[in-house]
Amino acid sequence: MSELTLLLLQIAFLMLLWFFVFVIVYSLRSDLFGQRAKRLPDRAAGTFPTSPAPAPAAAVADPAPSREAHRAPPLQSDATPRRLVITSGPREGMEIDLPSEQLTIGRSSESGLVIRDDYTSTHHARLMLWNDEWVVQDLSSTNGTLVGGEKIDRPTPVPERTPVTIGTTTFELRR
Amino acid sequence: MASPTPSSATETAPAPPAPRAPLTETIRVRLRAPARRRNTELGLLLFALALAGGALALVQLGALGHLAGTMMLLSGLLGLFAIAIHVALRVVAPDADPFVLPIAVLLNGLGIAEITRIDIAEGLVGWDAAGVRQIAWSAIALAGALAVLLVIRNHRVLLRYRYLAMLAAIVLLLLPFAPLIGKEVNGATIWIQVGPLSFQPGELAKIALAIFFAGYLMTARDSLSMVSVKVLGLRLPRPRDLGPILVIWALSMLVLIGQRDLGTSLLYFGLFLVMLYVATGRLSWVLLGVVLFGGGAFAASRVLPYVENRFAGWLDAFNPEYYDAFGGSYQLVQGLFGLADGGLIGTGLGRGHPGIVPLAESDFIVASLGEELGMVGLFAILALYLLFVSRGFRIGFTGQDDFGRLLAVGLSFVVALQVFIVVGGVTRVIPLTGLTTPFLAAGGSSLVANWVIVAILLRVSDSVRAQPRWVVEEGRS
Repeated sequence: MSELTLLLLQIAFLMLLWFFVFVIVYSLRSDLFGQRAKRLPDRAAGTFPTSPAPAPAAAVADPAPSREAHRAPPLQSDATPRRLVITSGPREGMEIDLPSEQLTIGRSSESGLVIRDDYTSTHHARLMLWNDEWVVQDLSSTNGTLVGGEKIDRPTPVPERTPVTIGTTTFELRR
Repeated sequence: MASPTPSSATETAPAPPAPRAPLTETIRVRLRAPARRRNTELGLLLFALALAGGALALVQLGALGHLAGTMMLLSGLLGLFAIAIHVALRVVAPDADPFVLPIAVLLNGLGIAEITRIDIAEGLVGWDAAGVRQIAWSAIALAGALAVLLVIRNHRVLLRYRYLAMLAAIVLLLLPFAPLIGKEVNGATIWIQVGPLSFQPGELAKIALAIFFAGYLMTARDSLSMVSVKVLGLRLPRPRDLGPILVIWALSMLVLIGQRDLGTSLLYFGLFLVMLYVATGRLSWVLLGVVLFGGGAFAASRVLPYVENRFAGWLDAFNPEYYDAFGGSYQLVQGLFGLADGGLIGTGLGRGHPGIVPLAESDFIVASLGEELGMVGLFAILALYLLFVSRGFRIGFTGQDDFGRLLAVGLSFVVALQVFIVVGGVTRVIPLTGLTTPFLAAGGSSLVANWVIVAILLRVSDSVRAQPRWVVEEGRS
């Protein structure tokens, strides 16, 4: 093997080594630069019929009976909210069960609740259960988190049925 | 169940935990998305194996002038082990992080190649060759990682055994002092030997300690973070909350004095300090810890001759007095000469003289690689460590339970700190200590411990991503 061949092989090896590093970095780009925002189509385009979200009217229009119904069979002794209901935004009416400890919210696909719009940060906020009370913490998001219309700067308790706004989405916690 | 359940339909409770997505979507999430992660992993893994094989081939071409079949065959078998882990992940942890395994495999493979290179320089063959033993240990380590993945299906199980983990850590730390099996090598009492096998139990102790710290801090974080007394404008913890940090400090000082091992002592204390900081978010703990450890290390450097030697050899490495002294700075300076010889792109794999440095295959593997791959190659290796650690922190950051978060951060920080202590020692940024470079250095205990860390990180990341997810995005159907 001549010196020159070995030198060329060495350089090729180093380039491939760095190529491996950059392949990984490229695969991680959403971690580094944030999730790409998708331009939301017009509301008028009407994707609701095909969307898996429940009918928006059902959740919002008639909350009271639902509450009564939940009170009637005492499923849980505590008053901790266990559901999150989206009251306005692209997926208005969607309802999810809150996890046992915390729910991360953001544009990252690793979040517990993924909200993809132009106003949501990659890791926007998180809901945490502190002493049977849900607390929302803003993770230094660009556009902030509103609880009851007020922008928060510290972990803030979220009482039941208080609107929390993140980006174009507003949700409430319910029992 | 195939249709979403609006809240009005749950009136007739008890509402079952109905899936909020239609059946088709559930299937899509279950089947397609995880497979994508694993396919990424497979591609990267094959790439990593090709690079590791290429490194070994270059070593043989450079040093021997021809390819030697046996080592290639053995490494190929090891590659099959790595692919076996990948296949197992597809079944038992389909949502695990796709980058951790290929990075660890590549580092391990580069290590084997460079260790083989030093064997060639020293004329070692067969079972005497550290490279062959390293391959055998890698196989054991990979099997260990596979076992951890198969046995621990949910990392929260570890929380139950946190006090057992503490006990195990203490036993592992004290094991080298036991009669018959304990062994002193180069002044440090950190080895045990059973028959032909020698092992550093302290390597496994760091995992046990991380499990214990995560479990303990999860329950104690409130009392450690909320309550404080204000002294001179600094929020300091109450004296009664100082117990744990003092216990860990005493433990690491015991390692420093009793086992004469500066690096391990720093590693344990650093691990606790960082996990404490992550759990409480209070800088005063870190300040306190740094003052405690700095004071202890300074006192030790005055009293203990071996620490004093290390400091002197670090500050004044090129002084002939220390250079020629037994246990002086000869090794460190030879490593620096090697790095300097490597220059920007290195001498080429198999074409340098890394064998001159004592312990070039274990303590000074970084200097050997730096000599033959140059600064460009060494920085690629450091970038791989950076990516590995950042994945670990990432897994911790997105974790859904406190225990998993603390555990992932703690374990990946251990790797980061260990790399810093070793590379910093070899490049004369900090005093030289006897720690092993994770994945690269020759040494079975270190390999096994680091592969177990890989397995635990993969397990935690799987449970992170296996959490139910809801997506708010218009136009998604």
